This record gives sequence, structure tokens and C-alpha cells, in this order.
Amino acid sequence: MIEYVGVVIFFAMAATLAGAFVFLSSVLGPSNPTKVKLEPFECGEVPFGLPVGRLSIKFYLTAILFILFDVELVFLFPWAVVYRGLGVLGLAEMFIFLGVLMVGFFYAWDNGALEWQ
Amino acid sequence: MIDLYLLIPEIVLVVMALLLILTTRRIQCAWTAVTCVIFAAVASVILGWTFSSYGPEIGFGGTIAGDGYARFFQVIFAANLALVALLSTRYFDTEGVRPGEYHALLLLASTGMMLSAAALDLLTLYLGLELMTLCSYILVGITRDRSASNEAAIKYFLLGSLASVLMLYGISLSYGVTGTTSFSAIASAVSERSLDQQPLLLVGMVLVGVGLAFKVAAVPFHAWAPDAYQGASTPVAAFLAAGSKVAGIAALGRVCQVAFRPDQHVWIDIMVVLAALSIIVGSILALSQSNMKRLLAYSSIAHIGYVLLGLIAGTPGGVVATMSYAFFYAFMTLGAFGVVVGLGPRGEDLVGYRGLATRAPGVASLMFLFLLSLTGIPLTSGFIAKFGVIQSAVQTGHITLAVLAVVFSVVSAFFYLRVVVLMYMNEPKETTAVCFPVGVSAALAIAAFVTIVGGIFPDSFVMWAVPP
Repeated sequence: MIEYVGVVIFFAMAATLAGAFVFLSSVLGPSNPTKVKLEPFECGEVPFGLPVGRLSIKFYLTAILFILFDVELVFLFPWAVVYRGLGVLGLAEMFIFLGVLMVGFFYAWDNGALEWQ
Repeated sequence: MIDLYLLIPEIVLVVMALLLILTTRRIQCAWTAVTCVIFAAVASVILGWTFSSYGPEIGFGGTIAGDGYARFFQVIFAANLALVALLSTRYFDTEGVRPGEYHALLLLASTGMMLSAAALDLLTLYLGLELMTLCSYILVGITRDRSASNEAAIKYFLLGSLASVLMLYGISLSYGVTGTTSFSAIASAVSERSLDQQPLLLVGMVLVGVGLAFKVAAVPFHAWAPDAYQGASTPVAAFLAAGSKVAGIAALGRVCQVAFRPDQHVWIDIMVVLAALSIIVGSILALSQSNMKRLLAYSSIAHIGYVLLGLIAGTPGGVVATMSYAFFYAFMTLGAFGVVVGLGPRGEDLVGYRGLATRAPGVASLMFLFLLSLTGIPLTSGFIAKFGVIQSAVQTGHITLAVLAVVFSVVSAFFYLRVVVLMYMNEPKETTAVCFPVGVSAALAIAAFVTIVGGIFPDSFVMWAVPP
């Protein structure tokens, strides 16, 4: 377990530093609150709201398609690193994998998942 | 390259699934897809047996086995696939489900089952089970317009992914302690130091066991099964009740008999609790069901308790008893669900069986046969199956458990025979003719054949069961 002490020290230092920033800015900084300033800031979105309105299902479809090709890249990368050691068989296996993936891609295309009407 | 011989059954199924996915928009007729699936199932069994002598015994870096254990279960899964495909003919025409997609999912789920029976490594096992369950989630919710189906799919997905996470955590703990995920390497680590001295490995084993208990729906991890079966379309419920449970059993058998074999008493204690609870809770809750699919769900939970008896014995003979139980259980469950499929919506409620014997004597006698077999009456395969597991439990000194199993066999007779009483001793409520589709009749004929022949000449099937 002794080898994890460094991680613990790292976490402690990170927490101290972040805490110090928050503490110091609240003590030393000028305090001039207005109503807008006191609201939580969330990248320009309205922070609170009832879930009215629906999100188009197409966003989810796009997200799923993204994952399909994202995971493919994750798998391709380690293969590319050891490519020379794998030889022709490794190349053939990767083409089979890509072929299976392309079947999925064709299915998505064929069924209109890529069209945004 | 020679390792590929081991995976021939899986490869056949995957290729057919990919073809169906490619042509899914062009397949309008359910029979086209069903024919493809049956062809793939038969081809995978025949090619698998033909080429089994060409490949090595163990392949892919010690992760895939081509032994008799894997082959036996592959035959069950292929038969399960073909029978469910037959049961699904005409069923989805009214639901707006495209046959290509549905059957491709069936094929991929069966591939996962076969992989999990052949796996010799915890991660390969996880991969196979996950392929199976991911397809099952979609299959349960494939009738998108029915809210019951959606609800069942969500429940099944949430509980199933919780189980997968627990199992994966267990795998990671086992890996952390032993530095490997291979069954044989874990076994040697366990034989060096017993599990009592390695608490982390013990926790890992328990978590893997919990994940597998979810897959086979053993009490107390059974809550998803009745809801999922009730909400799913009946052929899908049959597929889950027969196939995915048998896959869980296959995985459990391999994990117990190979990976954690050196320290048997630990997992046997866990299994005893699971088996006793499953038999008791499954039988008692089935008594109060009025929905046929829920009744069969609780009955399948009780059956899992009996299946575990063979593993509790822990001897090669016990494992053979469990394997033949799994085989016969798959066919009689498919048969009982097949009758429900054939009767359509009225088959889902117990009231629909009122006076079935006068309306359709053939159907009623088939249902009678399957219910007798599920009860475990002699001359049906269910008797042979129950006799085998209870005998192996007695031989290894689990007398209390064996007595419990016999007593609750009698309790289960009550709810199975209640359906028989409804069919034979009541006046029919409606007089519309019962017309079974050809596919359903064919599937029922096969299931009935195995149930009868298995009851009279059990050795013709049991001789193929080889312990791992």
C-alpha cells in the first residue's frame, strides 16, 4: 500500500490549493453582490427550470452513432501501435472488424439514421 | 488460424446475423428470416461437430474451449434459437416488428450464449454474457408501441446492468488478487492459499456469483424475471426463460467447476442458500399467479433451484445431472411457452385455458404433457432431470436439501395441475376455434418429441453431457 502514499499526498495538496483559492478570494476580494451575480453560473444556460419542451430523439441517435465510430477508433489505436508485430493476420482481422462495423454503418444509413429531416 | 475451428458455430451465426442486418429492409416475409435462422442454427451444430476434431482443445490464448461441455451447450442454444424462430412466425406481423432485425438479434444473443459456454476466461465469459443480455434487452422491448413491453425492457435493463457491473467488479477484484482472469490460473491461485486467507478473492468470487445468479434469476436475484417475461412478447419470453438461463447455468458450471474448484465448500454454501430459496420462493409465489407467463416465470425460478442441486454436489456426476436438467428444461419450457404463443392473447391469462380440452384436445394434451414434465412425473424428461439432480445431492450428503426439493416438487404439482384442471374439468367460456400456425406446431412437435424420448430413453441425450 505504501506506493499509493504519493497519490494521497497529491490529492491532499490539490484539495488544499483549491480550498485556498476559494478561501482567499472570498476574504481578500472586493464584495459587491448584485442579484445577477449571486445566481449560479452555468455557461449561459438558465440554471433552474422545469423540464418543459422535448429534446429531439435525433440528438440521441447522433450520440449513439458517434459512440459507434468513437469506440472503433479506440480499438484501432492500440492495433496501429503494434501493427508491425501482428503481420498479415492482424491486418486481415482488422479488416474483418471494420467490415462488421461497416455493416452497422450501412444499416444506420439504410434506415435513414443519417438524415436530419 | 487453426483456433478458428473452435469458433465455427459462433462464426456461422454471426455471418447470418450480419446478412440479415444488411437486408433487413428488404425482408418483408417472416418466413424468409425464420428459414435463414433455422438454416444457421442447423449449420452451426453440424459444422461445429464436424470440425471439432480439427481444432485444438483450447484456443485463443487459453480463452476458448472446444470441449464436450461447450459443444453440448452449443446444441442446446442452437435448438433454442431454431425453436424460438419457429415460434415467432406470424407473431410479429401485427406488431410492426421487422423480421430481419428481430431474427438478427436472436442470432447474436445465441452467439453470446455459445461464447459464454465455451469461455475459459472471466473476461471472455463476461463478453459472451454481455452480448447475450444486450440483445435480450432490445428483444424484450422490441414491440415499441406496447407500454408493458417498454416497462419490462427498462426494468430488465436496469437490474441486468447492475448485475453486470457487480460481476465486472468481482472480475476486477479476482484479477487484482491473482493477476489473471484465466480460470485455470485462478484455480491454481486458490489451491495455493484457500479463500479464507484471501478475503479480496473471496469477495470477487461472491460478486461474480451474484452476477451469474442474476442471469439465471435465482432467488434473491429473481425480481426482474416475472416482469420481463410478462411484458415481453411470448416468443421472447420463451427465449429468455430457456436460452439465457441455460447460458447462465453453463457459465456458473464452468466458474464453479474450474476456476474455484479447489475451495469447493465456500461456493457450495452460497449455492445451497440460492437453491433452497429459489425452490421455496419460486414454488410458493407461482401458486398465486393468474397470468400464465408469470406462472411460468416463477416456475422457471423454482427450476433453477433444482438445476443448482447438481452443481452443489460438485462431482462430475452432479455436473452431468445439471447439464441434462438444463437440456430437458429448455425443451419443456419452450414447449409450454409455445402453447401460450399458439393460443395468442387469450393464452396469457389462466382463464383462457378454461375448457381447452373440448375446444382443442390436441393442444390441451400437449400442454398437459409439458406441465407433467415440468412437475416431474415419470415417463417425461422432467422426471429424469429431477431424479438426476436430487440423486446427486443425496449422494454427496445434502439430505435436507434433497428432502426440501422433493417436498416442493409436490407443491409445484399443485400450480401446474391447476392449469390441467382448468383445461379438462371446466366448460369452455368461448367456442372460437383454436388454429395454430405451422411454425408453432412444428416447434411444439420437436419439444414434445424430446420431452417424451428424454423421459423413456434418457441416455440418448444424457450420454452427450461431458463435465468440464
